[in-house]
Amino acid sequence: MVILRYIGSRLLFLVPQIVGIVLVGFILIKAVPGDPATLMLGPMASTDSIARLRTDLGLDQPLPVQFLIYLQKLAHGDFGTSWQTTQPVLSDLRTRFPATLELVTYGMLLALLIGIPLGVLSAVRKRGAIGKIGGMYGLVAGALPDFWLALVLVFVFYSELHWLASPIGRIDISVIPPDTITGFYTIDSLLTGNWDALGSSVQHLLLPVITLGLINAGPILKMTQSTMDRMLQADFSQYERLCGLPPQLIMRHAFRNALPSIITIVSVLYGFLIGGAVLVEIVFSWGGAGQYAVQGVLNSDFNPVLGFVIFSALFSLVVYFLVDLAYLAIDPRIRH
Amino acid sequence: MAMSSSATLVLETRDLTVSYRPYGLPPVQALRKVNVKIALGEILGLVGESGAGKTTLAKAIMGVIPQPGAVEFGQILFNGTDLVRQLEHKLNQLRGRAISIIVANPRGELNPLLSIGEQLTNLARFHLQASVRQARQLALDMLRAVKIPDPARRFRAYPHELSGGMAQRVVIAAGLICAPQLVISDDATSGLDVTVQVQILDLLKKLARERQTSMLYITRDAGVAANFCDRIAILYKGEIVEEAPTAAFFAGPAHPYSNLLLAAFSHHSALRKRWSREVEPLAKDEIGGSACLFADRCLLRQGRCFHEHPQLRELAPGRFVRCHFPVERPSS
Repeated sequence: MVILRYIGSRLLFLVPQIVGIVLVGFILIKAVPGDPATLMLGPMASTDSIARLRTDLGLDQPLPVQFLIYLQKLAHGDFGTSWQTTQPVLSDLRTRFPATLELVTYGMLLALLIGIPLGVLSAVRKRGAIGKIGGMYGLVAGALPDFWLALVLVFVFYSELHWLASPIGRIDISVIPPDTITGFYTIDSLLTGNWDALGSSVQHLLLPVITLGLINAGPILKMTQSTMDRMLQADFSQYERLCGLPPQLIMRHAFRNALPSIITIVSVLYGFLIGGAVLVEIVFSWGGAGQYAVQGVLNSDFNPVLGFVIFSALFSLVVYFLVDLAYLAIDPRIRH
Repeated sequence: MAMSSSATLVLETRDLTVSYRPYGLPPVQALRKVNVKIALGEILGLVGESGAGKTTLAKAIMGVIPQPGAVEFGQILFNGTDLVRQLEHKLNQLRGRAISIIVANPRGELNPLLSIGEQLTNLARFHLQASVRQARQLALDMLRAVKIPDPARRFRAYPHELSGGMAQRVVIAAGLICAPQLVISDDATSGLDVTVQVQILDLLKKLARERQTSMLYITRDAGVAANFCDRIAILYKGEIVEEAPTAAFFAGPAHPYSNLLLAAFSHHSALRKRWSREVEPLAKDEIGGSACLFADRCLLRQGRCFHEHPQLRELAPGRFVRCHFPVERPSS
């Protein structure tokens, strides 16, 4: 009952949240200097034709009117058109957003697989070798730029060792991509039994996923380590030790208490990476949403930028919503 | 239940000395050659001010002295086995099972994410190898025994849903669920309302008597110990300064520090005034290395106190005091 009411109240606030985000995004992108009409028509265009195009695009209207027009179109599912790709933004994002999401999701999974066990172990064996390795890892991962690591990986595994196919795009040019179901090449090729596509997309995912995983395991490890450490020192853990409970059980209980903090950092990272993985996307010519948005910003192509903002905002809201549900499941103090 | 030499000893510490050696600082002796004996079914009250080493003694017995502390010397005999030289996993089998501890601040000690029932059944399942159903039954019986109203509902409750007194009962239930031989209560009831405290002490005493449980009852409040304990030991700066059967102790405490402690709780204002007078501060060089530890605060000190450390000596059978000039008559 509590949970239903909670979900209801969250959904109620979804629309105003989205409108607020669009408004801020809209104002910010308009504040960036640059006129799409000039860029679209090129340096040889006459002032007359530029002015005509501006009228056609509605750019001569005052900002609030432009915003309302944008909102009205948005309400009908029209995200506008990108003048760079000449495609509707919605169809562009339909392929690019899953591309980024696939990359980032596998990257996060890898980061979790590295960060959480290493973090827990280095909290339990604080003074041991693992504790020291954990501390070092957190430091190094925090200091390395992701694109640099990506370039090193490409150099080693492609240029020198030739273990992998050329690190360009999501799939080999000679391989036909799988039919779109989820937009994740790996899952779609699995579902359709397209083994060539599966092999090729896994090969292309390998290096960028390793890059994102290794780098983002750093903050997850740090958070896991410090929270676990605190929970193992907490009165209730000391008390469980006094009660002679087995160390594994005490560790499990402490981990459960540490989980909310770990989930928080993971969700923040996940939401951030949708746009934050853009440098890695560029290194691997991934053709993802981040790259799409950056191109939009650089070329005064407003619609892709706003579309990207809306998509990633929605994604973050979904992630945070799931996180709240997870808190509810973990902590009885919130439930009551 | 006065202790006789023929009674079975459950716990005995022999010259137990515990020191903390913080890095780069001089070591601090928290316990100095402490000898306590607790017989089967006996309740020993350990009274002292904060910093006297009461909790250190409890932790030493449980084998959980925090870094940088360690047992430097002496033995802790539990049923004749020395716990100091016991392996960690063997100790872990005793903790919560044969020796349990009831702690203060129970709400902080309970795991906030686990229900009361789960925390109690964990103990029974791990220590007694009870089945899920047995453990549950045991936990419910225990909640009933500590007089928790509506035990079936509390079984499902979480720590944050309990009042302080209720949580204290849960911790007592956890301390008793495995029917331990020795229960250590570390200032466990001092945070409670007086009425609740009385209820809980009565309950503890009843449960201890029924099951022949021995208890080490650690407190700062000598008045509470008077009604609850069979024998009293006074700890001052890590040293036992007086030890006596409860009745004899309260009839006439022999050590000046004991008198000071009792006077502080007394309603008799003349008595309180007499013992809580300011003592003239001493210059550092007046106290030798072997002075009585209480000399700087003692109203009855004499020259001998500054250069001869008093030994614990027997005034009467079962009455021990560590003082050159014990108070002879009951002070009234």
